[in-house]
Parts: sequence; C-alpha cells; structure tokens
Amino acid sequence: MPEFGPNGIMGGVTRPRQGQWNSLGLWSLYWREVKRFFKIYLQTFVAPVVTALLFLSIFNFAFEGDGRSMGNVPFTEFLVPGLSLMALLTASFAGTSFSIMFEKLVETIVDSLMPPLSPFEHTAGYTLAATTRGLLVGLAVILGMSIFVPVQIHSWPFILFHAFAAALALSLLGLITSIWAEKVDHVASITNFVIMPLSFLSGTFYSIKYLPDTFQIVAQFNPFFYMIDGFRYGFLGHADGSLVTGIVVMVVLVIVLWAFCQYLFACGYKLKS
Amino acid sequence: MGEPFRQMMETRPARGLPNWRGLWTLYAKEVRRFIKIFGQTLLAPVVTTLLFLTVFAVAFGGGRMVAGIPYVQFLTPGLIMMSILQNAFSNTSTSLIQMKLNENIVDTLMPPISAFEYATAFILSGATRGIMVAVGVGGALSFVEPVGIHNIGLILFYGCAAALMMSTIGLITGIWAEKFDHISTVTNFIILPLSFLSGTFFSIERFTPLLQSFSHVNPFFYLIDGFRYGFTGHADGSLEIGIALVTVIDVALVTVCYLMLRSGYKLKE
Repeated sequence: MPEFGPNGIMGGVTRPRQGQWNSLGLWSLYWREVKRFFKIYLQTFVAPVVTALLFLSIFNFAFEGDGRSMGNVPFTEFLVPGLSLMALLTASFAGTSFSIMFEKLVETIVDSLMPPLSPFEHTAGYTLAATTRGLLVGLAVILGMSIFVPVQIHSWPFILFHAFAAALALSLLGLITSIWAEKVDHVASITNFVIMPLSFLSGTFYSIKYLPDTFQIVAQFNPFFYMIDGFRYGFLGHADGSLVTGIVVMVVLVIVLWAFCQYLFACGYKLKS
Repeated sequence: MGEPFRQMMETRPARGLPNWRGLWTLYAKEVRRFIKIFGQTLLAPVVTTLLFLTVFAVAFGGGRMVAGIPYVQFLTPGLIMMSILQNAFSNTSTSLIQMKLNENIVDTLMPPISAFEYATAFILSGATRGIMVAVGVGGALSFVEPVGIHNIGLILFYGCAAALMMSTIGLITGIWAEKFDHISTVTNFIILPLSFLSGTFFSIERFTPLLQSFSHVNPFFYLIDGFRYGFTGHADGSLEIGIALVTVIDVALVTVCYLMLRSGYKLKE
C-alpha cells in the first residue's frame, strides 16, 4: 500500500536513493516505448514480414528455376537468415531513430527528460525497447518464411548472440541518430543513405565470395557483414568470415555505442541545450 | 468598392473559365514541397534503385539471359518503372495526409479552385515527381549499364500513363486516409507487392499458369511490360491490350478522383 505524503502519492519519492537503480522508471520508459510499437503493429510487425516474404518470392521466381545455390545450400535457404536479420536491423534502427526525434518535433521530449532517470536508464529504456521490437520482427520473419522454406538450426548460441547484439547495436545507432536529428529528413537520410545500403550490401542476398576482391577486403571492416555472417552461421553452419573476429567486433561495437549514448544523455547534447 | 477588395474578387475568372493561375500556384506549391526535401523524395529513390540493381545484377547477373536478353538489360526498365510507380503514389498520398494531420488543408481548399483544377494540380505534381525520379534513375543506371532505346513513343506513353495512374491512386488514398497508418498500409500491402510481383525482376513466364492469367488483368504488369518493350523490343504480353487497358484505367481513376473531390468526401464534411 503506497503512502500518501504532502507531494502526492509515495510522498514524492519518485527516485530511489543515490546509487540505486530506478527500476520503476526504467520499466515505465521501456514499456511506454514497447506499447508505442504495438499500437501501430501493422506498420511495425506485419509490414516487415510481408516485405521479407516479397523479397523471398522475387528471388525465388527470378533465380530458383536455375537451381541456383550459394555454397552448398539451396539459394532460398541461404536467404532466410539474411532476410530475417535485415528485417531485424531495419526494425531496431527504426525503433529508436524515430522516437526521440518525434518527441522533439511534437515537443513532448520534456516529459521523457524530466523524470528522475539517469543517463544509463534513459539509454537502456529506449534501446531495450527497440531491441525487443527488432527481435520480435526477426522472429516473425523467420516464422513467416518457415512456412515456405525449410529452416534448419545449426547453433542456437550463435543465432541468439548475433540477433541480440545486432538488434542492440542498431538500436543504439538509431538512438544516436535520434538525439542528433532535428527533423524527419535527417533520420530518413541516415536510413536511406547509410543503414539501407549497409544492410543491403553486406551479404544479405549473396555470399561475399561472389564479389570482386576489393569489396571482400572492405567487407572485413564492415560490422554489418559480421552480424549477418555470424547469424547465418547459426543456421547453416557455414561462415564466410572469422567467427571469433565477428564476436569481438560485435561486443566492442555495442560497448562503444552504449557508452557514447550514455555520454550524449549525460551532457544533454541537443536535448537539454 | 475598395481596390484590395476588388482584387480579391478577381482571383477567380468568370464562371465557366478555368482558373489557370490557381491551378499553376497549387501545382507549383506541390512541386516545391517535394523539391525542398529532395534528399528523401528524389535522391533516396535513386540510391535504393541502384542498390536493387547492384544486388540483383552484380551478384547474380553474370551472363544470365532472361527472355533472350541479358538480365541487366531486362532489369533496368523494370527498376525505372518501379520507381515511377512508388514515387508518384507516395507524393500525392503523403502530401494530402500531412495537410490533414497539420490541419492546414483548409488553406488549399479555401481558394477559388474547382474540383477539376484541384485534381489536375495534384495529379500532375505527383506525376512530375515520378518522372523526375525516373529520369534520375535512368541517368544513374545508364552509367552502370547502357540500355538501348527501341521505341521512344512507347517509353513516353507508358512512363506518363504510369505516373498519372499512381499519382491519382495516391490522391484517392490521401483523400480517404485519416492517419499515416492508412497510407503505410496501402503502400506496404498493395503498392509494394504489386510493383514487386508484376514482372519488375523476372519474366512472368516463370509464373504458374494461374498466376500468369492473373497477370494479364494486372495493369502494373502491362505498365512494366510495355515500358520494357520500349527499351528492349521484347514484350511478354500484348501491347495493344496494354495501351487500351492503361488508358481506360487512367480515365476511370481520374474521373473517380474528380467526383470524390467535387463531393467533398472526407475533405469538406
């Protein structure tokens, strides 16, 4: 039973003592964001599944008749992990990139900044909500495609690690974009000119062995390549790049991006200035 | 009568005459709207189309032939047409819904512009964007893979007919929609599937007979097929049926759109 004090419910105790987590605040921010996604589920969950299935059918009609395969796997089976990870990446990025920018546009951002949340809790609330969206979309796409294409599992840990790390990394990138952006145009530019090309060209639709040598070397420095490659290894048991490098790259990327986000919240860049 | 008041009364010509200036002003406003955000409206579609070309052609194309022509030559007209379809639709639909959401739609409904002029200005502005993107995409693609021209008349006919059709469908959707969700639903579940599966990326010879017979009543198929014929000289379907069907649909859609605007459906209620 909460106590009623002079400052309203709980006597104005909205934040636990210094050094403790504000788990209620973190949960509230997270849950508000997740509810926002579910309210427009047609756009956030159904549309990505339909788009992924469209890609699958296009490739199927255009190439399957040739008996085409990538490595030793039939082409459609090769596509399933790539397409679902691409949907996961796009959904995670969209999850955070629109939130803060939109709050800035409609000037409700103050409602998210005023509550007693630390930079860590702000980062975690937004990021984990978008990660949830990304993972759910990825799962939905795989389930949708498994109706048409047999999906085999080689290694659960690789699938889960790469799905989670990729969703986290893209949510953090989205959060940084969102803090920096001042209008829809800015977010759309990053989506169209950075995220889309990287997720299209990093081996979603083909093994990078089919690319010219220069591009193969470039791929070694592209974190998106490691996300897709490691994720696909979890399904097919075959990787184009080094798995250990992939894991290291992902962990470092997530830590650096997270620290940067927390720093942006702490100094109030474009939020409190 | 004071001078300003007389000027105000003179903004619309006498009854029965078209308001050319009003039409032009609305058209120019709409064109400026999308040029102002050219990164999203012109540049992004060009980049996306190039990505599609890269993925489909560079990674898989190597020497493949479709319907007797190299795959990249087959793909390029399809991609240009796809960008016309998507951009013409998106211009009118988003413009209308944004005005509704911002509640400034009254500023375009108040001026003495008739339903016909209103429809013309919007449809032409959407068509302009579709054609501008097509020229951009075509220009960019011609650096990658030069495509010959077989019949410029058909290219222009199908290009303009497609831009008009989608711009009109976008306007109808925009008039009907009450929130952004409605537009995205139509885009994701109708426009995108139809433009993806109507022969942009593959010859419909690949389809099962049932799907093939469906394609023969699908206007998107005729648009892509006829447009491609203008470049390559190869068509899967009949050009005459295509021209007739596309013309009938365009006229029908513009009429529906005009009637919707005249009745004030969802705009003046």
